[in-house]
Amino acid sequence: MNAFDGMITGFQVALSWEGILFVLIGVIVGTLIGMMPGLGPISAIAIMIPITYGMDPAPALVMMAGVYYGAVFGGSTSSILLNAPGISGTVATAFDGYPMAQQGKAGKALAIAAIASFFGGTVSVIMLMLLAPALSSVAISFGPPAYFALMLMGLTAISSLSEGSTIKAMISAVAGVMVVTIGIDPQTGTQRFTFGNVNLFEGFDFLIIALGLFAIAEVCMLVLNRKNRSLSDDQKLGSLKVTRADLKEMSGPMTRQSFVGFILGVLPGAGATIASFISYIFEKRISKNPEEFGKGSIKGLAAPESSNNAATSGAFVPLLSLGIPGSGTTAVMLGAFLVLGVQPGPLLMTDRPEIFWGIIASMYLGNIFLLVLNLPLIPYLAKILSIPRPLLISLVIMFSLIGVYSISFNVFDLYMLLVFGALGFAMRVFSFPAPPFILAFILGGMMEQAFRQSMTISNGSLAIFVDSPLPLSLILIAFLSLVIPSILKWRSRRKLAKM
Amino acid sequence: MLSTINQRIGLILFIIAAIYLFLSFQLPNYPYAPIDADVIPKGLGVLMLVLSAALFFSRAIETEAEKEKRNIPKKELLVLLAVFAMIFFYILLFEIIGFVVMTAVFIFFSSWFLGYTKWKTNIIVSILFPLGMYAIFVFALGISLPKGILPI
Repeated sequence: MNAFDGMITGFQVALSWEGILFVLIGVIVGTLIGMMPGLGPISAIAIMIPITYGMDPAPALVMMAGVYYGAVFGGSTSSILLNAPGISGTVATAFDGYPMAQQGKAGKALAIAAIASFFGGTVSVIMLMLLAPALSSVAISFGPPAYFALMLMGLTAISSLSEGSTIKAMISAVAGVMVVTIGIDPQTGTQRFTFGNVNLFEGFDFLIIALGLFAIAEVCMLVLNRKNRSLSDDQKLGSLKVTRADLKEMSGPMTRQSFVGFILGVLPGAGATIASFISYIFEKRISKNPEEFGKGSIKGLAAPESSNNAATSGAFVPLLSLGIPGSGTTAVMLGAFLVLGVQPGPLLMTDRPEIFWGIIASMYLGNIFLLVLNLPLIPYLAKILSIPRPLLISLVIMFSLIGVYSISFNVFDLYMLLVFGALGFAMRVFSFPAPPFILAFILGGMMEQAFRQSMTISNGSLAIFVDSPLPLSLILIAFLSLVIPSILKWRSRRKLAKM
Repeated sequence: MLSTINQRIGLILFIIAAIYLFLSFQLPNYPYAPIDADVIPKGLGVLMLVLSAALFFSRAIETEAEKEKRNIPKKELLVLLAVFAMIFFYILLFEIIGFVVMTAVFIFFSSWFLGYTKWKTNIIVSILFPLGMYAIFVFALGISLPKGILPI
């Protein structure tokens, strides 16, 4: 099936009444959850997974994709209105969005953010449509050694690109794989670290980890920051009107940064946060008036907004075509696929074209919905920011508990949710990044399987990973992605010490 | 000796890694598998030992932002512990008393405890949220939640 035929199949899914309805639900729910400071796309997707139980995979996954990019879109609203980014990918949005709001131009800032997001999202969906099938057809020939090397590369990339210490990010990733080893080994039937407890035989469901490490840990942070302001009723949004001159000013950064965002989204480990910061710095560097940045510059707002949305769609390229997530959020998306019995990867395009193309087609639709719905509805949607923190905390706890309970109807899982929530909070307090943990948890089982298959093929010789060029080069990239950032950090520390 | 926080965390992780590695060596052998179930755990244990040692000896200085994150007042920590205790009791009782009643009680008391003083709104949300969720899960999605003491 070529891309054109594929898109026709995809639009049949996306434009069916079911498709339209679920894309709409997805983007609205995603926007609302993404707006709430602290709650990001990971929590949004994890909270929504139980709702999809019993649904057909195609509309369910179309909805989850809508939740994902809706949450990224919603994150900018709280960045602009409260200077409290809903997600880390919209931190750079606040640099110029919040000063605009302070100048009484919040409505205009929100409208610019919506247009830039739409543009970035649409450009990258077109590129996703062109790139994902090509990558799928290449990946079909990958053997277990190449898959293992690819997953290793994804894991090392996210560890080295995480904020802060690389050692802590690697510890987080190794801990994630350690947790996967708990349960019955699928190949030999050996019980590993279960201590005879029946509840541990199946291992941990990924939803327990995702909701514990992210939603419950977020709740802890919300408890500590519960006295922070929420949106007051008398806060004025101002006009939403964007003039032709504004559009002209934002067109350059929007176009450039959509491509930058997409490329960074495709690369494992980078994602929306890094993309938005790089785009912001890039635009400031090439600007004729860099002093305007940080004081309410339209360019400074449009650049990270188009970039973070482009990165979101870009992150679907490795997920859909290789079956390998490149970030914490796409790892949870992969979890959502697996819950619905769909294995993303090179075979998805041929085995389940309605899902592969349906998701891509739904993104066009979702971007249009986000723009058309959000522009007039922004003043009303922003009201969600006035939900008092104590009530919000109680409701998020309840959503997480119901979500976990409805996987297995087992109270033991709820206690484990509490344990992983405490772990997630401790990781935040001591600056251990959580995305490498969840990514390692999702990839760990697959990595072990690929490793053992490779070793079976080679009769126990590790040479299989270096004998052919593809796994060898991927392992080299994995190694370099760990070593180079460490060397750069070490050199900059030495320079600082000499100064 | 344990002057920095990284050294303390490094030591704790080293102990955890050592226990994990010890348990990995206790895993039974399966004679027909070319790569047995203990290979990956052993590798992970060793890797964690190395990484925790690297953290212990790392000379990276904690940034101000990282220090700020750790700086939680004791009173706030107690509030957090109280919320965890409430969740614990919720889990303990919710299959016995039922989803609707326990959820209503939890939302009301935790919101009140965390400083929400609008009684009327709190009562309305505490009652409507569990009823709405129960209706969605049980009647729309066909996922059963514990009835407990209620007859529905």
